[in-house]
Amino acid sequence: MLHENIQLSKKSKQFLENLRVYLFSSGKKEKEIDEIVEELEDHLMQAEKNGKSIEHIIGQSPEAYMEQLASEMPIDVKAWMKYIPMILFGAFSFIIVRDLFEGTLSYSLLEIFGFLIIAILFLTIISLVFRYIAGKNLAAGKQFAILYPAALLPLALFVGLIFLNQQVTTPVINFGVVGTIIIGAFTMIFIIGFSIWSKTWVLPIVLAFVTLPDYLLDFTSLTESARIITGTCITFGCILIYLWISSKLAKV
Amino acid sequence: MSTTQMMKGILDGCILAIIKNKEVYGYELAEKLEDYGFSNFSEGTIYPLLLRMQKEKLVTSTLKKSTAGPKRKYYRLTENGEQELQNFIERWEILQTNVNHVLAHETKKGKGV
Repeated sequence: MLHENIQLSKKSKQFLENLRVYLFSSGKKEKEIDEIVEELEDHLMQAEKNGKSIEHIIGQSPEAYMEQLASEMPIDVKAWMKYIPMILFGAFSFIIVRDLFEGTLSYSLLEIFGFLIIAILFLTIISLVFRYIAGKNLAAGKQFAILYPAALLPLALFVGLIFLNQQVTTPVINFGVVGTIIIGAFTMIFIIGFSIWSKTWVLPIVLAFVTLPDYLLDFTSLTESARIITGTCITFGCILIYLWISSKLAKV
Repeated sequence: MSTTQMMKGILDGCILAIIKNKEVYGYELAEKLEDYGFSNFSEGTIYPLLLRMQKEKLVTSTLKKSTAGPKRKYYRLTENGEQELQNFIERWEILQTNVNHVLAHETKKGKGV
């Protein structure tokens, strides 16, 4: 339906993409984000048709303009009250499922609060990083240079927590057989429920890739270090293949 | 210069006046402001203002199909908006009279007439 001459310039398209990311990582309502992005798209199209530059519309600093818009839009508290526990529990399900294979569950207070803090920290950092990248319109290379450490940080903290937990003694909560069964069942219900709700089976699939190789390799006669290396390779190999297949399927 | 500071409140009032006269969509509104001589601002500035006016229930919007392109959001004044426009006009008239008085008297004295 669109004519060639009313195609948006690359710069404007990029701005609209960045605006969407910026507003979403600022926790704004999806419907309102769609509305303002569509409105600006329409505006930019007409402006370009009349030979106006994008600077004439949004001013000299895209980031300042994005913030002006964001500050007039309400935060979608209701949706984030739903998303944040889901993300947190999604992260916990990896730890829980892995430990279920090892027997009954028991966690020290340090572990439980440590996991929680790391997960919340991770969410905060990711949100800030995306806002920063979108506001500054960084090139792909620079984006990666910021995203990579931001994603590695929680992993490093996680490893640190495991070591700290060996050094420091805090009260340990033993869930026992009944407790373990209840938590296990609850986790399974969550995983299935989440998959139905999100209409994708990515969580249980990745979960299986992460936990199953270690568990199955335990039955082999390989040495511990060989098991860890093989397990990690299988995990990442499977995830890569899965991502590759799903991207192929998405294109069709 | 603090023209931008002064502009903000004034722009609000002008937007209300334009919308009262006729339902408009974003680009139309920006063009009208430019036609009236507000050429020194970035057009996008109107959207944060419109968002705030919607939040304050001074304006409402409806999606309407345009003849050629996509659906467009048209803005209309609410009763609160009409009241706010009246307030703006009163404030502006007082301000305008005061400023004119000051300038007329003080600059006359300066010239020694």
